[in-house]
Amino acid sequence: MDLALQIEQRTFFKRVDWNLVVVILVLNFVGLVNLYSATHGPHSSNVDSLFINQIVWLIVGWLCFAVVTLVDYQFLSRIAYFVYFVNLAAIVYVTFHGTVALGAQRWIDFGFFRYQPSETMKLAGIVILAKVMAHKNIEGKGMGPKELFIPLLLILVPFVLVVEQPDMGTALLILVIGCSLLMFVKVRRWILVAAVTTGVVAAPVAWNYVLRDYQKNRIVNFLSPNNDRLGSGYNSIQSKIAVGSGKIVGKGFRKGTQSQLEFLPERHTDFIFSVLSEEHGFVGSFLTLILFMMLFLIIIRVASTSRDKFGAFLCVGVLAYIFWHMFINMGMVIGLLPIVGVPLPLLSYGGSSMLTTMSGVGIISSVAFRRYIF
Amino acid sequence: MSEYITNPEETKELLPRFRLFYGVLAFTFVVFVMRLWYLQIIEGTELREFSEKNRIKQAKISAPRGLVFDRDGKILVENHPGFDVILSPQYIDNLEEVAEALSPIIKIDADKIIQKVQKSRRQNGPFAGVRVKDNLSKEEVFRLKRIRLDIPGLDIRETVVRYYPLQMNGAQLFGYVGEISKTQLPRYNELYKGFQSFEQGDVIGKNGLEEVLEKNIRGRDGIQFIQVDAFGRETQSATPNIYGEQIKDQDPVSGNSVVLTLDKSLQAVAYNVFTQAQRIGGVVAMKSNGEILAWVSTPSFNPNEFSVGISPQVWSNYINDPFKPLRNKVIQDYFSPGSTFKAFVALAALEEEVVKPYTIVNCPGLLRFGRRDYHDSVKGGHGNITIFEALERSSNVFFFKMGIALGIEKMYDYISQFGIGQKTGVDIPREAVGLMPNSAWKKANMGEEWQPGENLSNAIGQGFVQTTPLQLAVAYNAIGLEGKVVKPFVIQKIIDNQGQVVKNFSPQILRDLQNPAEARARISAETFKVVKDGLRRVVQGSRGTAKHVNIPGADVAGKTGTTQVMSFSADQIYQRCENRPIQMRHHGWFVAFAPADKPEITVAALAEHSCHGSSGAGPVVREILKAYFEKYHPDRIAEFMKKTKVIKVEEPALEGE
Repeated sequence: MDLALQIEQRTFFKRVDWNLVVVILVLNFVGLVNLYSATHGPHSSNVDSLFINQIVWLIVGWLCFAVVTLVDYQFLSRIAYFVYFVNLAAIVYVTFHGTVALGAQRWIDFGFFRYQPSETMKLAGIVILAKVMAHKNIEGKGMGPKELFIPLLLILVPFVLVVEQPDMGTALLILVIGCSLLMFVKVRRWILVAAVTTGVVAAPVAWNYVLRDYQKNRIVNFLSPNNDRLGSGYNSIQSKIAVGSGKIVGKGFRKGTQSQLEFLPERHTDFIFSVLSEEHGFVGSFLTLILFMMLFLIIIRVASTSRDKFGAFLCVGVLAYIFWHMFINMGMVIGLLPIVGVPLPLLSYGGSSMLTTMSGVGIISSVAFRRYIF
Repeated sequence: MSEYITNPEETKELLPRFRLFYGVLAFTFVVFVMRLWYLQIIEGTELREFSEKNRIKQAKISAPRGLVFDRDGKILVENHPGFDVILSPQYIDNLEEVAEALSPIIKIDADKIIQKVQKSRRQNGPFAGVRVKDNLSKEEVFRLKRIRLDIPGLDIRETVVRYYPLQMNGAQLFGYVGEISKTQLPRYNELYKGFQSFEQGDVIGKNGLEEVLEKNIRGRDGIQFIQVDAFGRETQSATPNIYGEQIKDQDPVSGNSVVLTLDKSLQAVAYNVFTQAQRIGGVVAMKSNGEILAWVSTPSFNPNEFSVGISPQVWSNYINDPFKPLRNKVIQDYFSPGSTFKAFVALAALEEEVVKPYTIVNCPGLLRFGRRDYHDSVKGGHGNITIFEALERSSNVFFFKMGIALGIEKMYDYISQFGIGQKTGVDIPREAVGLMPNSAWKKANMGEEWQPGENLSNAIGQGFVQTTPLQLAVAYNAIGLEGKVVKPFVIQKIIDNQGQVVKNFSPQILRDLQNPAEARARISAETFKVVKDGLRRVVQGSRGTAKHVNIPGADVAGKTGTTQVMSFSADQIYQRCENRPIQMRHHGWFVAFAPADKPEITVAALAEHSCHGSSGAGPVVREILKAYFEKYHPDRIAEFMKKTKVIKVEEPALEGE
C-alpha cells in the first residue's frame, strides 16, 4: 500500500465526528427499545409492522447521513434554490390536491411512503437561508429591512401555505426555526422590538379570524385542561399521569399500564416520551434529556469551529430544528405546553421525521468533516 | 486543537453569539428537569396510585335515534334494545380457550371466532374490540354473563337496534340503518364538524327517510368514562372518578322524533292489497293538499335485517332480484303513462278549442297517418263519440286526432305545467325526473327533428313521455283541484325530546293553472269540469274502462292506462298479454281522485307487468279509497258497504319479532 492512501484512510476515520455518531446511535437505540414497547401490547408475540418500518427508516436514515457527510456541504449551496423551489412546488400541490388526513392535507401518497413536503421544507429552508445570509455582508448592528426582505420571504411563503393546509404545528415550526436562524445572524434591535409589538397586537386578530376551532380548543384546554371532558384535555391529563406514575425508576420495560392499556393517545408518535417516562421513570427521562443536551453541545462545537459562515449557519439551523422539536414535544408531554402534533426527533415513529433528522445531522457531520486541513 | 482550520475573518464575529445558546439550553434543561422532578418524584406516588387503581377509559354511547310516528301518532319506526358480544384481544391470554368457551353459547365455530379476532387484530391493532356476534338472544346474554368474570376481555355491550314494526311494508320509504362506510366517513365528519365525530362502526341512516332525517333524528352521542381494572374489565369503586367532579359522563341526547303525514292503516291496506295480488310496482295515496297517506313499493325488503347487520347472502339476493326490491318505485321507476295521459291532452284540446265538449268525432278502428296505421285499443273502434265517451272508453283514435291538431309544442306547454317530466320535490331522496318531450328536447338528445307521427303516439301516452307514479298522482290531483299543483310531502313535524315542535311543514301550492300569471298555458275552470266529468264516467259510466272500481257514494274519478313494454306488430297487439313471459307483459296504471267534486284524496298505482291498468292497478286503488272513506266518511259509503261483503284487511302484528 502506498503512503498517500494510508494517510487518506487514517484521516478519513479521524475526520468523522465520532462523538456525534455515538450520541445519535445511543438515541436510536433508546428510540427503538421504546418504540418496541409502544407498539407491542402485553400479550402480543408477533413483531409489529410499525416497528419493522421504523428499522427500515433508520437504515435509510443512516444512508442519508453517510451520503450527506461525504458530499462537500458547499454542494448544498449550489443546489439550494433548486431543492427549495421543488419542495415549495410539492407543498403547493399538497395544499390544493394532497391526501386528506385528520382534516388537513399534508401528504403526497407514493403507496409505500407518504411524503410530507412540509417536513422536508424545514431542512430546505435552513439550507437556503444559510446560503442567502452567508453571502451577505452584515454590519455590526445586524440586518435591516433591506437585508431581511429575501430571507423573510423565503420563510413566510411556505409558512402561509402550510397554515392553509391547515397544519399549524408544522407551520409554526418552520417559522420558529427560520426566525431562530435570522436572530443568530443578528437582526437590528428596533426590528425585533417592532416584531414583538406586532405579535402582541396580531394575536387577538389571529384568534378571531385565522385559527380553526380545534386549534383554539387546544390552547384553551392547555390553559384549563379540566374544561374539556372529551378531547385534548383528557390526553393531557393521561400523559401527565403516565409521566408521573413512572416515579424514580419507572414501571419497567413493556410494563407501563398507561401506554399498554391504551390510555395514551398516539403513543408511538407524539406521546412517545410519555411511554419512556412511564416505563423508565425520572432516571430514564433525565438520561434521555442529557443525551439531547450532549447532541446540542456537539452541534454547537461543530458550528463554532466550522470553516466558513455557511457551515456555521447550517449547523445553527439544524440545531434549531432538533431543539425546537424536542422543546415543543417534551413540553407538551409533561404538560408545560399545549397539545401540538409535533414528533420527537429520533424517538417518535415516522419516516419523514426520521429521514429529515438524519439528513440534518448528516449536514452537521459534513461540516465537521471539512474542518481539517490536508 | 491545532488541526482545526479556523478562519478568523469569517467566523470570529459569530463566536460570542453561541453563548446565548448555552443560556437557552441550560434554561430548558433546568425547567424540564424540575418539571419531571415535580411530576415523577413529588407527585409521583399520587399519580402512580391513579394509574394503578383507577384506569379510566372513554367509551362512546350511541344516542338512540328519534322515533317515527304516523299522522295519528301510531309508531312506524322505533328502537329495541340489543346486545353484542365483544372480545378485546389485548386482554386475552389464550384465544383458543376463549373461543372454545364461547363457541357452544353463540353457536359460531371456534375456528371462525379465532379467525375473526386475528383478522381484526392485524387490521385494527390489539386495542380495538372485536364484535364477535351481535343481536344476541336473551338466553345467550344470560349464559355469557355467567362466564364473563372468568374470561378477561369478554364483554357484553348494550346497543340500540332500529326496529320497523311494519316489516317489509314501506321499507323503501323509511330506508334503513347501517354502519357508516369508509367512503362516507370523511364526508360525514366534514358535514357534522364541531357537532360530533364519526368513527368506524357508527350507525347512520341509509336511504329513504332515515337518510333525509339523519341530521334531525340521529341525536348526539354521549361519552362514558369507564373504570377498568388491570385486565381491562369494568369495575365499580367508591370514588366516582379520579378527577373528582371535573370529568363527568356526557349523556347521549336522543334524536328528535318525527311525525309523518302517513296513515298507518291506509299504508297497511295498500301494502296488503298490493302483495296479496302479487303485484310488482308502486302505489301512492296523497291527500289533495300534498300530504302523503300511503306509499308502497313492491317487492320489498325487510329493513330489520339491515339493523342487525345484513348477511352478504341476503344482500346479494336483494341486489340480483330482477324486480329490484331496494328500488323506491314510487319515485324511481318511470314509464310511459299510457292512456292516463289522455286526460291532459283532453284539457289542452278543449282549451285550444280543437274540440268542443259536445263535438262529435268519428273514431274508426284505425287511423292512417303518413304511411302508417295507428290502431285503437278496440278492434272496430268506437264510432261517433264526444270527448266524454273518448275518455270513458279510452279511445285512441280520438286522441290521435287531438294530437295531430295540437302538435307537440302545444301539448308540452299545457302538460309540463302539471309537473310531468319534472321532479315533484317530495322530501325523499333520489327522485327520478321522468320526461315530457318536445321538439327541442328531441333535437338536443337524439339529434333528429320531431316527426309528425310522434304527435300521435305521444298523445296517447306511449311515445317518449315518462312519469313516475308520484308525478302522475300530483298531476291528477291538480286536475281534481281544477288547476292547483301541490308539492307532495311525507314529513309533517319534527318534535324534540320535550315534545316541542321544532319544525313544522305545511302544504304548499306550487302554482294555480287557472291563474294566467302562474300558468304557462292557462286552463279555465270550465275545461277542468268537462275533463273531470269524463274521468268520472271512466269509473261511474256504464261503459267505463274502470267501472268495476266504482265505489258508490265516494264519487270516484280516474283513468286507466297501459304501458307497452315492447312494440309489437299489428297482429301481436291483440294477442293476449297474459300469454307472454312476465317480463314482456304490459304495465298497468290506474290513477284516481275522490270525491270528484271536491277531491280529498288522490291515489296512483303502477302495477308492472300486470297487463291492464283496470284489472292490475284498479283494485288496489279501490281498496285504498274504500279504506279512506271508511275511516273519514263512513256515512258516504255506508249503503255500499252494507251490500258488499267486507274483506277486513288486518294490520300486521306489531309486537314481537
